[in-house]
Amino acid sequence: MSEYLLEMRGITKEFNQVKAIENIDLKVRPGECVGLCGENGAGKSTLMKVLSAVYPYGTWEGSILWEGKELKAHSIVETEAAGIVIIHQELMMVPHLSVAENIFLGDELTNGFGFIDYDLMNAKATQLMNRLKMPDINVALPVLSYGGGKQQLIEIAKALNKNAKLLILDEPTSALTGTETETLLDLIKEFKSHGMACVYISHKLDEVAAIADTVTIIRDGHHIGTQPMAELDTNRIITMMVGREMKNLFPREEHEVGEVVFEAKNISVWDTTNPDRKLVDDVSFQLRAGEILGVAGLVGAGRTELACKLFGYWPGDHEGKIFLDGKEIHVKNPADAVRQGICMVPEDRKRHGIIPLMPVGYNITMSVLGRYAHNQLIDAESELAAIQHEILRMKIKTASPLLPIASLSGGNQQKAVVGKMLLPDPRVLIMDEPTRGVDVGAKYEIYKLIFELAKQGVAILMISSELPEVLGVADRVLVISEGKLTGDFPNVGLSQETVLAAAIGKPETAAA
Amino acid sequence: MTLTKKDLRRLLSEYKIVVLIFVIAIIWAFFGTLTWDSDTGWSQFLTARNFSNLLRQMAITGMLASGMLFIIVAAEIDLSVGSLAGLLGGIAAVLDVWWGWPLYGTVAAVVVLGVGIGLMVGWIVAYVGIPSFIVTLGGQLAFRGAVLGITAGITIAPASAQLKFIGQGYLPGGIGDAMAVALFVLLAFLAFRSRAGRIKHNLPVSSMSMEIGKLAVIGAVIVGFVLTLNSYQGVPVPVLILLVILGIFTIVGDSTVFGRRIYAVGSNLEATRLSGVDVNMVKMLIWGLMGLMCAFAGLTTTARLAAGTPSAGFGSELDAIASCFIGGASMRGGIGTVIGALVGAVIMASLDNGMSMLGIDTFWQQITKGIILVLAVWLDIVSSGNQR
Ligand SMILES: Nc1ncnc2c1ncn2[C@@H]1O[C@H](COP(=O)(O)OP(=O)(O)OP(=O)(O)O)[C@@H](O)[C@H]1O
Ligand SMILES: [Mg+2]
Repeated sequence: MSEYLLEMRGITKEFNQVKAIENIDLKVRPGECVGLCGENGAGKSTLMKVLSAVYPYGTWEGSILWEGKELKAHSIVETEAAGIVIIHQELMMVPHLSVAENIFLGDELTNGFGFIDYDLMNAKATQLMNRLKMPDINVALPVLSYGGGKQQLIEIAKALNKNAKLLILDEPTSALTGTETETLLDLIKEFKSHGMACVYISHKLDEVAAIADTVTIIRDGHHIGTQPMAELDTNRIITMMVGREMKNLFPREEHEVGEVVFEAKNISVWDTTNPDRKLVDDVSFQLRAGEILGVAGLVGAGRTELACKLFGYWPGDHEGKIFLDGKEIHVKNPADAVRQGICMVPEDRKRHGIIPLMPVGYNITMSVLGRYAHNQLIDAESELAAIQHEILRMKIKTASPLLPIASLSGGNQQKAVVGKMLLPDPRVLIMDEPTRGVDVGAKYEIYKLIFELAKQGVAILMISSELPEVLGVADRVLVISEGKLTGDFPNVGLSQETVLAAAIGKPETAAA
Repeated sequence: MTLTKKDLRRLLSEYKIVVLIFVIAIIWAFFGTLTWDSDTGWSQFLTARNFSNLLRQMAITGMLASGMLFIIVAAEIDLSVGSLAGLLGGIAAVLDVWWGWPLYGTVAAVVVLGVGIGLMVGWIVAYVGIPSFIVTLGGQLAFRGAVLGITAGITIAPASAQLKFIGQGYLPGGIGDAMAVALFVLLAFLAFRSRAGRIKHNLPVSSMSMEIGKLAVIGAVIVGFVLTLNSYQGVPVPVLILLVILGIFTIVGDSTVFGRRIYAVGSNLEATRLSGVDVNMVKMLIWGLMGLMCAFAGLTTTARLAAGTPSAGFGSELDAIASCFIGGASMRGGIGTVIGALVGAVIMASLDNGMSMLGIDTFWQQITKGIILVLAVWLDIVSSGNQR
């Protein structure tokens, strides 16, 4: 018996003759948590897909030793049977099935007659939810009635239910709030103490620092180093990831804040399935040219719903007035919004951001395609020129602009989606979690871009669940708690505590 | 360099159309052998006359399949096109035979009506939000009912000579030749222009010899096509109409804003909506096009039979849908080409034609067509490596 639970040796995986990862080693001891770090497109997800047989044995080179024996799995069913469970970067749930049904998908609990035993399944699922400190989730409701953060936790519950020996978490916390993240990290620690090992992928390096025993860093598909966390710190990890030192995470630039461009008055939004429930309750605010307005709050506080309403995308009941340059405007649908100069980078990249079968380039030009056409006929040349310009500006890593966007790494997809919403030259840009799943280097680039846009006079509404990000970028911070505006602070010497207090609904300072 | 399974797969998925043409070749060879006539020393199936017939047979399915393709690419379905084509054909017969309208009046009225009904169906699907499967299932029944009402259940004949020309006429040989030359020059020009553009932007291009080879094959196909048809009576009018539709629809699908949006809507409706595209409008317009194709198909059907019949177009929506899927369109939307759908239609028509010639019972014909549909889609799945 070797001392390792898992040994991956010399793994190489090609896509269309381009090597995504080359000769990578990864070792995990029983009960150990290995942090896997690297920039967008470094190959982290690919390596984990090789391990979990999403890419079956034979489609890659190298070898995998699992509990000392060679593993030649052809499907995820086999790896799960062996005890390797993966939680993918993109959520994989059946939206119309209930929470409990999703958790037990594939090994449904049955009674003596072979029928599904819903009572038992719901009871067990509720138990699991209680352990995850989410007692308010109704496991009989369809998954789609919960937001991204909750869904992510349900996905984790599903994985934990499978008695994993090795749990792979690919950016599990990108949709979670601080408390939810802590819950998750505590839970992983608890499972670790019972002997479960894990591979933890995240761009939030403080989480990696908190949970990992060992850190493996890859860059451009190559193994850069593996070291015990005790010998590392986040700065050191960043340097190894990026290949150079990064001194400042927020490239703050001075920019002038001008006149009020955008105003929202008394916005209320009701739930689609339960029209009595108010998700956004009478929120009003003003947004000035060149101003970066951060919107903080817990996941589920109603920030995304507010953004959808402003962008003309909320399907349910809503009311309130929107003004642009002092004139009331009516935004009936996103097309309307874009036409009037309001753009939005949506929160859920997979569902609302990318058009998966289309090339990256065509995704980028989707909203302004008419610009490159005469009488409907697209001028391929000017379109390509624009695409290439945007790919360079956003530093999107892709082998070709005509590669389907779905084959890009998560972070690079995000950059393309941001790029798409910049092309219409918005006057008001709503960004819902703009840096979700984006690596430190690329985050830096996106912040730089935000400051650049602010300098040009674009009014920016940035919704983010990462407090440091809000405090590092915004000029002013709105806090929303359970649909209500509970704070409006100028970001001068603003502390995390003040914002947090408002986010849980206990403002310690009166709203300005 | 050896050809591995992987290389083969890549080749097949990149040149799907080649696979389909290969399938056609097999089918033709098969019927060609079975219909061998030892008296003439030649096969009955592989004659210029039968080729001309076959193409005229497939023209109507082809028109419907062209419109259906965009609907399927947008991840929708239309089950009403057979009935709608029948209805429009019936109306054409009434206008032409009973009311004695001139041809341009009949055509204009039917086209306006077709587009109008199409837009209405599209409006219900896109703006009212009723799933297209339901709306068009209802349409299938309602339109068929309307045909029966309008024709009073009887055959309306005889159609005027002008109208018959649309379905039965031929182009004189000289015009056919000239058009073939023009088409080839246009294709060559487009190929080199897009190649130059790709080079300029550092995109991968195939080698020059490959490019010329491809054009040579296309040229040979066009020449063979026109020469064969001219050696009978010339290019049939409905086939010409279909070729023009093919050209226009290919341009629409590949290089117009509208076309790009159709593919986007089919690949991810919500993301497209959130990009600021008026997706409802896109959907409604797709049905407008479908309505136009139904008008063409209806006119051609009536012209070909020289009569309006209550059962015209019965079941042809299934042929159109099958053609799209055989031609590589995806059930889930976002994928498919017009040329693929038309090649699919040729496959379906070849089976019909060949089996009728052999005197095979209709029930066997249906069984065979069903099996071929499933086989073709299976081939597509295997070749694109999407097997699970
Ligand atoms: N199906 C595919 N086809 C072609 N290329 C692919 C495919 N999947 C991944 N790649 C490429 O492989 C590389 C590694 O991607 P991977 O998703 O593993 O990155 P990652 O490290 O997980 O990045 P991120 O942090 O952004 O999620 C990228 O350059 C990506 O474009
Ligand atoms: Mg990834």
